[in-house]
Amino acid sequence: MMRHLVREWRFLLGQNNVVILLCLCCALSSFAIYSGHQEIVAQHFTIERLQLAQQQDQQDILAKHKTPGSLAYYQFHLTYQTPSHLSFAALGDRDLYPWKHRIRMLALEGQIYESDVANPELAYIGKFDFSFLISVLAPLFVILMLHDIIANERNKGRYELLVVTASGSIVLWGYKTLVRFLALSLSMLAPFYIGSALNDVPLYDVLHVSILVLAYLAFWAALTLWFGRQSIFAPRIAATLIGFWVAVTCVIPITGNLLIEKNIEVPKGSEILLLQREIVNQAWDIPAETSLTEFVKTHPEYRVYTEMSEGFHWKWYYAFQQLGDQAVAHLAFDYRNAILTKFDLGGYIAMFAPPVLMRRQLSRMAQTDVISALRYEQSIRDFHQALRLYYYPYLFELHLFDESTLADMPQYSDFARL
Amino acid sequence: MKRNTQTLPISIDAQQLVVTLNNKKILNNLSFQVSSGEVYALLGGNGAGKSTALKTLLGFHKPVSGQAVIEGLAVSTSLSAIRKKIAYLPENASLYPHLNAFENIEYFLSLAAVHKTHAEIKISLQQVNLQQDAWQKPLSKFSKGMRQKTAIALALLRDSPILLLDEPTSGLDPVAIDEFNQLVMSLAKQGAAILMVTHDVYGACQVAQRIGLLRDGALVGEFVADGGHQIDTEQVHKAFTAGVID
Repeated sequence: MMRHLVREWRFLLGQNNVVILLCLCCALSSFAIYSGHQEIVAQHFTIERLQLAQQQDQQDILAKHKTPGSLAYYQFHLTYQTPSHLSFAALGDRDLYPWKHRIRMLALEGQIYESDVANPELAYIGKFDFSFLISVLAPLFVILMLHDIIANERNKGRYELLVVTASGSIVLWGYKTLVRFLALSLSMLAPFYIGSALNDVPLYDVLHVSILVLAYLAFWAALTLWFGRQSIFAPRIAATLIGFWVAVTCVIPITGNLLIEKNIEVPKGSEILLLQREIVNQAWDIPAETSLTEFVKTHPEYRVYTEMSEGFHWKWYYAFQQLGDQAVAHLAFDYRNAILTKFDLGGYIAMFAPPVLMRRQLSRMAQTDVISALRYEQSIRDFHQALRLYYYPYLFELHLFDESTLADMPQYSDFARL
Repeated sequence: MKRNTQTLPISIDAQQLVVTLNNKKILNNLSFQVSSGEVYALLGGNGAGKSTALKTLLGFHKPVSGQAVIEGLAVSTSLSAIRKKIAYLPENASLYPHLNAFENIEYFLSLAAVHKTHAEIKISLQQVNLQQDAWQKPLSKFSKGMRQKTAIALALLRDSPILLLDEPTSGLDPVAIDEFNQLVMSLAKQGAAILMVTHDVYGACQVAQRIGLLRDGALVGEFVADGGHQIDTEQVHKAFTAGVID
């Protein structure tokens, strides 16, 4: 077997066009890995910078504000989703969905959707990363490398001589195909392995991605070989395969996306933001008792603390902030639900569009997909809820609030999850 | 015209082959036999069915009726075993242009699982008179005749008991043709069964012990060398051009 592999490897190295193609694949893969790595390095740097700024900010705020109400108002809390080790290979939706927020203990949903100017899932092709290279471009390289393995020999008049001379079809076509397939796979995976080493990706994940990539490329290779046997004309084989590629890479996903968009309505983030602001602003113009009465429906333990002796009290302020969240809760729920429904429906479409399926798999592994983005959102909600539960006793029951109590303040790091 | 009486074991046996391609009958009840140690030339004009006959023996075309038997094995059932016994020289042998003669031969021999030393390859290249300074040049720099010589060297190295040659002297200069013919005859003397298809009357008469004249896929006549003499070129030429065999 080794003898045949060595023979075909030496043969391949003698074919300039194939070597150029392999070099191109390697260069593209290197660029994809480099740009992905740079993006993740930049995200880590941003997080570190924000953490430093947060520390400085905290010291200033804590020095200036000693009461729970004003501290909760002025204090920003940094939340962020740290990129996973594999993110460099599949940036996924991290460029579409926010992965960092500085939030205050005000109405939350508006803060979350402040940056949502459009439905991010409308975007189809994201950044040029490894997952894009593998799922979208790699099939083209497989087609280029393998479509004419047999047809080219026919066109050049060598087919009969080769078939009569070779001791078997595996020896003749099998090893040639295998060597080309392995060379192509390696040209794209080698930069990934370097990127994995730089990003401390666990070996298990490296193997998992490798198997996934090899299986995906093997699917295209099998398809190419099958088409290759159906015709003796290389251009016809290539045209058919590229037509298939266009169908599963563009036509099916775009049509599917259009159908999903038409049938699944997603509330706009800006709607949630505006409605919440409206509710919060209106609260200033209605009697405080009305807001507090509404508030204690969800917090009956503070029913006896709703009286207000002054014109303004922080408990009233934060109560109507919460009411703002409650007012848009259904919209926020619908938003998440619609995003998840679209994601699930996208999964069905991906069954007929292997490039989409591959990209979903890689971004799922890298935890850069919609699911991870929604989990991050939920972690902010959980943290924000913990902040409220922390402050409310000091605001309503007027518990003693001093430096010792600050130690019990929830930290986002306890809620962070991918 | 005389029919030859077969005395040596039959290596190639075409039995009433009928081959249809694109609804057109290309071979029409074609029958002939080639024995070990014999050179048989299938002579015919363009479209007579010469190459189709060869490709049918090689298993590339399936006959609608009749069968081809090589060394006692039917092509339809024992193709891979049969191909191991055959060295095939196609017309306009296209080897790999980016490899040199040595590399081409090594590559093809490796595919055939035939192990030959460099010295043996050198001998073979010398046998076909491929000039030594060309051995290490890529075939893209070869003339048609030089490529053909390389392919002939490859065929020789296969050590096959059966040689199927498709217009083997096409592209060779007269000297090279003579050398090639000598080579073919010496191989036949060593016991190889050689079937060549050609439209070169002179070449066929010079080298073949028997010539089958093919027209419209059928054998319309056969010429046999008589008592060690060559087949009469003029007679064959006349029959070939007249289209009539007496």
